[in-house]
Parts: sequence; C-alpha cells; structure tokens
Amino acid sequence: MVSKEEIMKVAILSKLFVADDEIDSLTKDMGEIIAFADTINNAADEGTDFDNINNLSNVLREDEVVASYDREKILANAKDSDEGCFLVKNIMK
Amino acid sequence: MIESKIVKLHKMLEEKEISCKELTQRYIDALQKDNAQLNAYVTTTPEAALEAADKVDEKIAKGEKIDILEGIPMTLKDNISTDGIRTTCCSKILEDYVPIYDATVWKILKSQNAVLLGKTNMDEFAMGSSCENSYFGGAKNPHNIEHVAGGSSGGVASAVGGNIAVYGLGSDTGGSIRQPASFCGIVGMKPTYGAISRYGLIAYASSFDQIGPITTSVEDAAIVYDVISKYDKMDSTSQGRKGAPVCDTLKNDIKGMKIGLAREYLDGVRDDVRQSVEQAAEIYKSLGAEIVYFDLPALKYALPVYYILACAEASSNLGRYDGIRYGYKAESYRDVNDMIKKTRSTGFGDEVKKRILLGTYVLSSGYYDAYYKKAQNLRGTIVNSFKNAFKVCDVILAPTVPMTAFENGHAVSDPVETYLTDICTVPVNIAGLPGISVPCGYNANGMPIGMQLIGNTFEEAKILNAAWQYENAANIYKSSDFGVKL
Repeated sequence: MVSKEEIMKVAILSKLFVADDEIDSLTKDMGEIIAFADTINNAADEGTDFDNINNLSNVLREDEVVASYDREKILANAKDSDEGCFLVKNIMK
Repeated sequence: MIESKIVKLHKMLEEKEISCKELTQRYIDALQKDNAQLNAYVTTTPEAALEAADKVDEKIAKGEKIDILEGIPMTLKDNISTDGIRTTCCSKILEDYVPIYDATVWKILKSQNAVLLGKTNMDEFAMGSSCENSYFGGAKNPHNIEHVAGGSSGGVASAVGGNIAVYGLGSDTGGSIRQPASFCGIVGMKPTYGAISRYGLIAYASSFDQIGPITTSVEDAAIVYDVISKYDKMDSTSQGRKGAPVCDTLKNDIKGMKIGLAREYLDGVRDDVRQSVEQAAEIYKSLGAEIVYFDLPALKYALPVYYILACAEASSNLGRYDGIRYGYKAESYRDVNDMIKKTRSTGFGDEVKKRILLGTYVLSSGYYDAYYKKAQNLRGTIVNSFKNAFKVCDVILAPTVPMTAFENGHAVSDPVETYLTDICTVPVNIAGLPGISVPCGYNANGMPIGMQLIGNTFEEAKILNAAWQYENAANIYKSSDFGVKL
C-alpha cells in the first residue's frame, strides 16, 4: 500500500504539485495501480537479461561540423527570451 | 475485395480523371463539414494542402511521372513534428508549440508532395485508450459518434474511418495505432521497433514507441509502409525495412502458412470478439493455412511490465517540459523551481501526471529493484517466449482489443480496468514485434471488431500477406457514412 507521504515524496521528485483536495483520490488511484504492478512479483525471476530491443548496437560515426538551427527560430518558442538567451529568474543572488 | 484507395486515386490523378486540386478541395470541404461531429482534427492546413496539390498538378500537366503517395490527401497524429505547423500532443503544455524541423516520416512524405490536410487528435502525450484524455476533447467514432474513436491515435482513426483523410500516420506505444483502428473498423499497423524513424516523434516511451500507417485497406498500409520504412541516421535505433518491398509479396497465396493461436490471448475477451477471431481462423483454414495452438504463459505479466517500463521512460522523457524553452509557462511564480512545478502541474492533464508519478515511483531509490529491474527481466522473458512461438508458427492471430468501442465518457473511472483494454496490444511493443489490426466483424450494435496478426521481427511482409488474404476472402470493411465517397 502506498502512503500519502510516499506520493508527496514522488511528487517532489517529479516536480509536480499535488493539491490538498487531490491527495486522497490520487493516493487511492496510485495504490490500485501499484498493487497491480506488484503482480509481477509473483512471476519467477528467470534472470533473463534484457538490455535493449531487437539486438541493437551502438551507432558510431565521425564527428562532423554541420549547420545547426537559427537561434532566433529556436527562441521563438520560448515565452521569455533576452539578448539571444532563454530568460529565467535568477537562481543565485 | 477491399480496393486500395491509394491505387485508385493515383490512377485517377495520372489519367487526369480528377485534378489534385479538385481532389484536395473535396477532402477539405468534407473535413470542414464533418469535423464538427468527429473532432478528428485539432489543426487544419488547407492552404498548405492546396499548395502541395498545385505542385502535383503542375507535374501531371508537364507529363511527369508521380510517386504513389504524391497528391494523396492525408493526416498526421499531432505528436509528429511538422516544421511551421503547430504540434501540440493535445496537451495544454504544448498548445502553441510550433516545431522548427520536420519528423523524418513527414520529411519523406513531403518530398513526395503528400497533401497534409491537418494534424489529428490524440490522448495527451499518447497516454490513453479512448482519445478522451485530449486537451481538445476526444475524437468520435465514425460508426457511431456516441462512441469513442479509441486511443491514443483516435484522431487519425476517426479521420480515416470517417473518410476525411485517405490515410494517416499514428504512433503506437502500447496499442495506440491498432486499438483505434480496431474500434473504427479500419487497418492499423505497428511496425517492428526500428523499422521506421522516430526522429521528430515527440517521445512517450522511447523503447516502445513506433510510427505506423492507419488506412482503410491492407494494401494501403503496405504501400505507406514501403515508402516510410527507411534507415535514418537521425534515429540511433533506426534500421529501416529489411528485405524487399512488402508490396511485392502482398498477394501471394498462403497455403501451408502456419497461423498460431495462443489461449492466453483469448482468455477474458468478450464473446462477440472471440467468435469473430475464431471465424477468422476458419477462413485461414479454407485458404490452406494451418492453425497451430500453443501457450504463451508469460503474457499474463505483459500489462504490468508495460505500465512499469513505459511510465518509467515517460517520467524521464517528460522531464523536459519546464516552461523555459517552449510551451506553456506558469504566469506567476516565486522562483525557478516554483515556476517549473506550477508549469507542469497546470500544463499536464491528470493521466499524464499519474503516469509521471508512477514512473518516478518505480525508478526511485528503494523501489527500483522490485519494479523497474524486475519488469526489465520479465521483458526479456516475454521476448524469449515470442521467439519460441515463432519456431512453431509464421504469424500469431489474436484479438486486437477484448471489447468494441465504448460509449463516450465510459472509459471506466477505474484506472486499472482502463489499462486492461490494452492487454492484447502491449505484448507486441514489449517485444518490439510488428502487429497489424484488420477488421474482422461487427457486434450486435454495428460496432466494428478487429483482429490482430503478429509477426517476428522485421517480418512485416508476412503479416501483411496474411492480412491481405484474409481481407480479400472475408470482405468485412464497411465505410462509415461520413466524408468523401470515392
């Protein structure tokens, strides 16, 4: 069973707020989903290694310098930008 | 025989029975009329569509040859990036996001003058099975608008089933192409992981996501697959199509083909669905295929394995939405951390937040081994059991969804029960296999039933061949009353 405290801790890690009036129903829903996820612990662990899908291997290539996107175009999607940079509130005094 | 719309329209264009502009205009008019009921499109692009149509008409006028998909009106799910055209994932957090580059699949199609009618509805970030998790409201089922189109690629299925697009591209992480195709009575294929470039597909769960076609016939799915299954250096998991074009062997006979039926796939599905799939097996016998029975016990863990791993990947992939570089940003906040939290809490819908929390939980210290690592091991077990299955059969026949399209608003308030609708589709994504959903009947209320054919890795040609033979013999597809009548 998951507790409210665990949900609050996970919410902090997820950078999400959980409102006071949401916490009870969310804890209940999450409890049910996690109880469902727990069913995998009934399965025998065959120790099957799984590291990737369809036997993929790393793709390597020479590093080449190619043109990138135009700075103005990239910044056009930001709500706040200044002097060619993304603008955020200061994080250090 | 279910005719290929793409082949028919391609001939009509080549033989100048209709100009591309007229064809495009017919689709635009139908879309403007019927979208109010279907809610399939969230963004329409009529000017760009007509511009592409003009280019095609110019080529035809000059006597130049046109490619098979050239000038065919189509749509893209709204998580496939389109340069200069809003791409929202049907989320508030990306409501006004305009990509500055094209997804590779769209780049390929655009280079062939595909006529993009607009971007279609989906469950927010592809998380859902009804399309009702869309920020723009759900797409409706063209066979009965009181019912959902399915999800998450509900908009593409509604548009194609409603004849307001000839074909569309969706994405499938746990069934999001096959399930809505089944609900809307049309064809949807999820190719092998790596067959189609994911570059520009906005990520949900990167080791499961795959782009694929949604069409009204198996031949159309094969045609679209052949065009878009190219190796792409922009996607490090890309491999492209292996072998000859699938269209070369589409209509081969299937005498002696071994079609596998696993008991686990038929457990718990509704009677009308099971009967339709069993009838399909009879049709296969009459076509000279052999039915083989086997067990896939690992399937019982497929659904929790899928939700644990997909949500873990989602919690990481969706970490990028912070309000700084693109998308919605909270209006008032104290500091950067407060801004990010407020942006995400207001920008994401409830289902997305739930999956981020679940994914973060299973990856967090103390739970990682019990959930994430265990699920990853079981993923290996499921991969192996499919490998063994393909030693005794060529393709696997299964239901696509245990039920038919539910009524709007009934996508079950119980979260676990909602997840159970994906039980027949997720195993394919877990193992990276190709799967196709083909219409195989209608229930007592006239709602479509779909069946699924699953193949070994990169054996799209086999499942498409088996699907085409069934479609040709069974003749199930019925057009809905919406949209353009050809």
